[in-house]
Amino acid sequence: MGKIIDMINAAVLAGTPLLFGTLGEILTEKSGNLNLGVEGMMFMGGVSGFAAAYLYNISAAQQTSGLIAVIFAILGAFAAGALGALIYSFLTVTLRANQNVTGLTLTIFGTGFGNFFGEHMAISSPGGFAAVDNTVKAAFGAVDIPVLSKIPYIGKLLFSYNFMVYLSVFTALLLAWFFYRTRYGLNLRAVGENPATADAAGINVTRYKYIATTIGGGICGLGGMYVVMVTCSGVWVHNSISGLGWIAVALVIFAAWDPYRALIGSLLFGGLSIMRLYVQLGIPMQIYDMLPFVGTVIVLILTSVRQSRQRSQPKSCGTNYFREER
Amino acid sequence: MKRLLAILLCMVMALSAAACTAGPKAAEKLTMENIKIGFIHISDPSDGGYTYNHDKGTQKMKATLGLRDDQIINKFNVPEDAACETAIKELIEEGCSIIFATSFGHGDYMLAAAKENPDVEFCHATGYYAAGSGLDNYHNYFGSIYEARYLSGIAAGLKTKTNKLGYVTAMPFAECISGFTGFYLGAKSVNPDVTMDVMYTNSWNDPTKEGQVAKALIDRGADVICQHADSTATQTTAEQYGVWGVGYNSDMRDAAPNATLTSAIWDWSIYLTMAVESVVKGEKIPVDFSGGLKEGVVDISPLNEAIVAEGTAEAIEAARQKIISGEIKVFAGPLVDVNGEVVVKEGEVFVEPQSAPSWEYILEGITVVE
Repeated sequence: MGKIIDMINAAVLAGTPLLFGTLGEILTEKSGNLNLGVEGMMFMGGVSGFAAAYLYNISAAQQTSGLIAVIFAILGAFAAGALGALIYSFLTVTLRANQNVTGLTLTIFGTGFGNFFGEHMAISSPGGFAAVDNTVKAAFGAVDIPVLSKIPYIGKLLFSYNFMVYLSVFTALLLAWFFYRTRYGLNLRAVGENPATADAAGINVTRYKYIATTIGGGICGLGGMYVVMVTCSGVWVHNSISGLGWIAVALVIFAAWDPYRALIGSLLFGGLSIMRLYVQLGIPMQIYDMLPFVGTVIVLILTSVRQSRQRSQPKSCGTNYFREER
Repeated sequence: MKRLLAILLCMVMALSAAACTAGPKAAEKLTMENIKIGFIHISDPSDGGYTYNHDKGTQKMKATLGLRDDQIINKFNVPEDAACETAIKELIEEGCSIIFATSFGHGDYMLAAAKENPDVEFCHATGYYAAGSGLDNYHNYFGSIYEARYLSGIAAGLKTKTNKLGYVTAMPFAECISGFTGFYLGAKSVNPDVTMDVMYTNSWNDPTKEGQVAKALIDRGADVICQHADSTATQTTAEQYGVWGVGYNSDMRDAAPNATLTSAIWDWSIYLTMAVESVVKGEKIPVDFSGGLKEGVVDISPLNEAIVAEGTAEAIEAARQKIISGEIKVFAGPLVDVNGEVVVKEGEVFVEPQSAPSWEYILEGITVVE
């Protein structure tokens, strides 16, 4: 029993950065923009969120407050991810550059951006490591809710995570409510499905594309911040994101562009990525590492066989909208 | 017509490039003032680990020998493919008399270049071709890092409360296996009840995976986690869960001040200085160099005095003296593997035949979880 709880606990922690990346990309794709720059935006968010908390930590020294560090990290990460997405939006929405190429470029740019500024901070610090102090580390550590966290099994299963885990779940629920329960959400989905029709109905396509893509990028940035502040405990590590952004892109397909399914999918992908550490089946470890992607392929095949209109990629995703070409 | 012109221009360019090539000036005598030294690195010093440390060795060698910046030519981020061949050619064309390559996969290209360029010395770390190659200008070098691991294992063995150690390592290769065996034997020398779980990350630098593996080991009950991977994630994960760690490559105390007891580290400058001096003096470079604690090639970083167990410094110092004097051999028998077979008999010692590690036995008390 304890072992299963340990495994689910590890799966949630592994799935959280993926969930942020996936939610950001779902929001982006709902507007008809296929942004393959998730990895890059995660790097940008990771290094900026870290830099905001780290520089605040240095300047405040002994007076550092964990809460303020958290706010700085969130704002820094969101702003940097959004900036990356804004560049992408300008290139694809305004200048109508190819979405695939722009996204890939953003990944390369973001990776360099992250490593460059991360290394710069590491080199300028006395010990050779850019690291936050114990107060900030504690703020990103597991929460300790009185009574609840102490319940056997349930406490560890539900109430023993860092606040970012709860934030990611809240973001998923918020997005789902936005897509399915608000008029703006309906408009956004219309833009993603058929921008010409949406345009004819009086929806400002450009504005929707810009805002959805930019906020989506900000959410991806939070995923990067999670990796640096939680997984690496507030120490800058070279190449820290190491491909999580790409798994998030696959997870969007797995989740069928639905925030609820993204919750389940990220837990499943997180679980598959740590499964070999807890359940030993005696098969080569490379097979375990393949499992999430095999799952994605199977889902792709199933959805294309079923051809469900509800759970498929927004129709206009990947193509730019040009009013004069209607 | 245009195409013809283009071909003509290409030929002219190729000719002029060939004419510019400096080439080794055979007539001129090699001195500390005119020697050029080339390096082939698999990544760049920003990795904070292997390449960072090797480059630190280069800097120290440069200072010791009083060389200028322009005498050292670094090729960073050279993958283990045909790009390595190109990098070596460029170094030779720039007039390097000695070339170092630091990654295992560079070996084939170094060997091929050594056959073609008998006037240039080639030194390859972690490889094993030198002894069998029959070439005078091809050498291997590495070090007995397991001796440093043995010392760091003492700190872990004295610290553990659960008598269970964890070890995050990259791949099931001899280099990794010999490392964790040394660590385990060090811990066992001061704590006979200790056991160890080992898990692979299947990558040299993947902080997410390293953190996950470290957490899994902690969930299995380990309370001192050692690592053979590049990032600091193992140390910081140990800190998050309130257990301890032992680092690798560089002093990792700054990353996890409440967890890292010590780290096993390299000092490459000793070999680099010796090799470059030999070339200038016209002496032979050892075919297969391996240095340990005695030569100062490997060591451990300063202990984290605030958290190590009482008596750790004394125990490590005593073991260090005995290893240097030869009284302690890390792989001394009797050693029994997981299947109960005796791999090193009582009174015998396993000696690495080459600088590159070849120890591949999993000893009793070690569980490789895969």
